[in-house]
Amino acid sequence: MSFGSPYLTLPEFQYLKPATLQDALQLLDEHKDEAKIMAGGVGLLAFMKERLVSPTYVVDIKGIAELTTLRDEGSKGVTIGATATLSQLLEWGPIKERYRAVWDCASQLSDPVLRNRSTLMGDLCEALPFVDSPTPLLIFDAEVEAASVKGRRWIPVKDFVKGLAEVALEPNEIALAIHLKSPPENSRSLFLKHISNSEFSVVNVASLCANPSQPENRIVRFAYGALAPAATRVSEVETIFNRKAPLSQLIDEAIEAIKKSAQPMTDILATAEYRAHILEVLAVRALRELIGG
Amino acid sequence: MTQLIDMKLNGIRKKVETKDNNLLLDLIRDKLDVKSVKAGCWRGECGLCTVLLDGKPVKSCLVLAAEANGKDVKTAEGLAPEGQLSRIQKLFVEKAALQCGFCTPSFILTAYYMLNTNPNPTEKEIRQYLSGHICRCGTYKQMIEAILEYAKEMRQEKEIPLPQPSRKKKERKSERSS
Repeated sequence: MSFGSPYLTLPEFQYLKPATLQDALQLLDEHKDEAKIMAGGVGLLAFMKERLVSPTYVVDIKGIAELTTLRDEGSKGVTIGATATLSQLLEWGPIKERYRAVWDCASQLSDPVLRNRSTLMGDLCEALPFVDSPTPLLIFDAEVEAASVKGRRWIPVKDFVKGLAEVALEPNEIALAIHLKSPPENSRSLFLKHISNSEFSVVNVASLCANPSQPENRIVRFAYGALAPAATRVSEVETIFNRKAPLSQLIDEAIEAIKKSAQPMTDILATAEYRAHILEVLAVRALRELIGG
Repeated sequence: MTQLIDMKLNGIRKKVETKDNNLLLDLIRDKLDVKSVKAGCWRGECGLCTVLLDGKPVKSCLVLAAEANGKDVKTAEGLAPEGQLSRIQKLFVEKAALQCGFCTPSFILTAYYMLNTNPNPTEKEIRQYLSGHICRCGTYKQMIEAILEYAKEMRQEKEIPLPQPSRKKKERKSERSS
């Protein structure tokens, strides 16, 4: 059934469901830009209904067993496969225990029913400014594993999102998995976001802290997103907290550094001034929660 | 291009041919003639098109018909035998948890899944879990009451393994055996 509006039906395409990664890579090498990869389909099918993309081939990668993996590699970190759903991710112990910022982020993405389909990789590959997932991934030095018929490579998340709806994948490449490095010992992390009166973030922040009371072992990481086309990790914050000084003073300095590094944009969701203000509010909240002071 | 789909709908095996760009929603409503699945926003926001795909609730306006190949699909029609209501459906009626009834099947399916995975939800958890569904009549309060009542009955059933001589118990027992 349809109401005849282009917004309710899908354009014509051919549906392909390869059973192995090798088949998928071959298909993609053959069709390149004419093919689109589908995992959960939540983003792709919505964009296709809007006619923002009209691929000739839709390649469903849910039949490839190795991409559903959620693997705990201990001190090496964890691997999140491209087709692991957000529901599976949220129920997975290691994410909840050691990567709280990622868990916080995933638990606020879309809604519980959509999370049975949508994936973290799908969210990351959408690469729209209000997408939340890059921010928490940045503080865990995450990398995207990509493959083509020629071989595999690992792309750091900070280089992965290149701009508006643009990611660092070649037309013949598939993003296979996200690797998160192991967090420092005794660390805690969190993710906060502010949505204005829509469902989309206008600012989000992620932060991680270990041993706040020991200056020599103290590690603090901070990243923000949704206020510019790509999320940013503020490296100045990390050096500020390596110094010996009262924590409240260091937090004030860190907030100044965060504000200085941000280049908020004005768009349909919020103005640059509003975003700058909200960034400060969330940064203070996140750092005080993790560090105290 | 077309795809041949071999799936189970409410326990009955179906073999149908569908176009590649057909949605699961179109397939269920138009080809398989199951009308409890409704079309609302077509973009995954209202939740009216929810079905259980291999037991988990998904929004069928964002699922391709071709993806249902080899899968088990359940709709509100599959919760009880023809002509009967399951306990949660009866509770929705008893608690007046509907006005126009357009969204009711989708809420029932999601609540049914949620209670199977978490038989002891708080009101807040229910609200969160149903956040992907919209009821324009605004009967959320009554729906939550019905779901809490169902959870309570399920828990009592677990705590007291021996059959109880109450009327309600008998009703439920006959439902399950039929």
